[in-house]
Amino acid sequence: MKVRIKAFARFREIIGSENTLELHNGTSVLGALKSLSAGSKDFRDACFDKEGNVASHVVLMINGKRISGSDRDAVELDEGDELAVFPPVAGG
Amino acid sequence: MLNGNEQERYQRQIMLFGEAGQEKLKAARVVIAGVGGLGCPVATYLAVAGVGHIRIIDHDTVERTNLNRQILHWEKDIGVAKTVSAGEKLRAVNPDIELEAVRVTINEETAPGLVRDTDAIVDAMDNYPTRYLLNNLACQFGIPLFHGAIRGFDGQATTILPGKTACLSCIFPKAPPKEIFPVVGVTPGIIGMIQANEVLKYLLGTGKLLGNRLVIWDGLRSVLETVQVERDPSCTECSHLHGDPGELF
Repeated sequence: MKVRIKAFARFREIIGSENTLELHNGTSVLGALKSLSAGSKDFRDACFDKEGNVASHVVLMINGKRISGSDRDAVELDEGDELAVFPPVAGG
Repeated sequence: MLNGNEQERYQRQIMLFGEAGQEKLKAARVVIAGVGGLGCPVATYLAVAGVGHIRIIDHDTVERTNLNRQILHWEKDIGVAKTVSAGEKLRAVNPDIELEAVRVTINEETAPGLVRDTDAIVDAMDNYPTRYLLNNLACQFGIPLFHGAIRGFDGQATTILPGKTACLSCIFPKAPPKEIFPVVGVTPGIIGMIQANEVLKYLLGTGKLLGNRLVIWDGLRSVLETVQVERDPSCTECSHLHGDPGELF
């Protein structure tokens, strides 16, 4: 299946604005982002914590809807989904 | 009542929202937490719009590295308290408003007394711990919080009406890591304008606020996106508050 990854702010600087991934059916959010990070240590360092989970401050959205909760990494993606990854910015 | 000077000064916006609207601005009390990259443009535009009482808070002194973006602080102000530097310019640009400049560190002891008597809190901070403190007080006192943050060419903004919309902790439960952030002055200029615009709309009771919506600005592509956000029913800060979001005007 094809899934689009949309990156914002610092993530966009690393992997570009939009990526399309070819993934196995039933791949989770975590699986998709790990697949993306395989080619980029910078993305891995920015997106994941030391335990290999998506860092807790990173906002995740599927088709424009925020996903939250402790099991958000495990949500399965569907063909054609758009997964957005957004690191909140902090400066003022 | 507006005096003659005020009627002349605000003529073009009285055309927009009438003397009654202008008097609402004159009667309003707004606190701006931080007069750095975001606080400078927010304070400037709220001052020239005629917000009657503006309280600016900052503990820093002006450094040369601030001058690429903190537009109320000039070369001559290096070493001066930011509240003094900003206060001088804001009083000069509009002597008809009350400008209160408070040089203090915003913390759990100082903040309650600085925000509880206001109609709106502007988050112009550069760190999440202080933002969460402002969010907590906004929820505690039922005062709207106007959030903005920036990095590089990127920015975000939202409006929080406690009990009615997602609060800062609902949207960002965990703070991003602290960093010395890169920034070009136009980014806080743009996000600061969104915040100031939201404050004016709220005070005037007009338009549709950015409640439950997060604006994400991508300055490199000139794309402004709006993402829907929701209240977190288990939010530690606001889940006990119950209000009708209505139409958010």
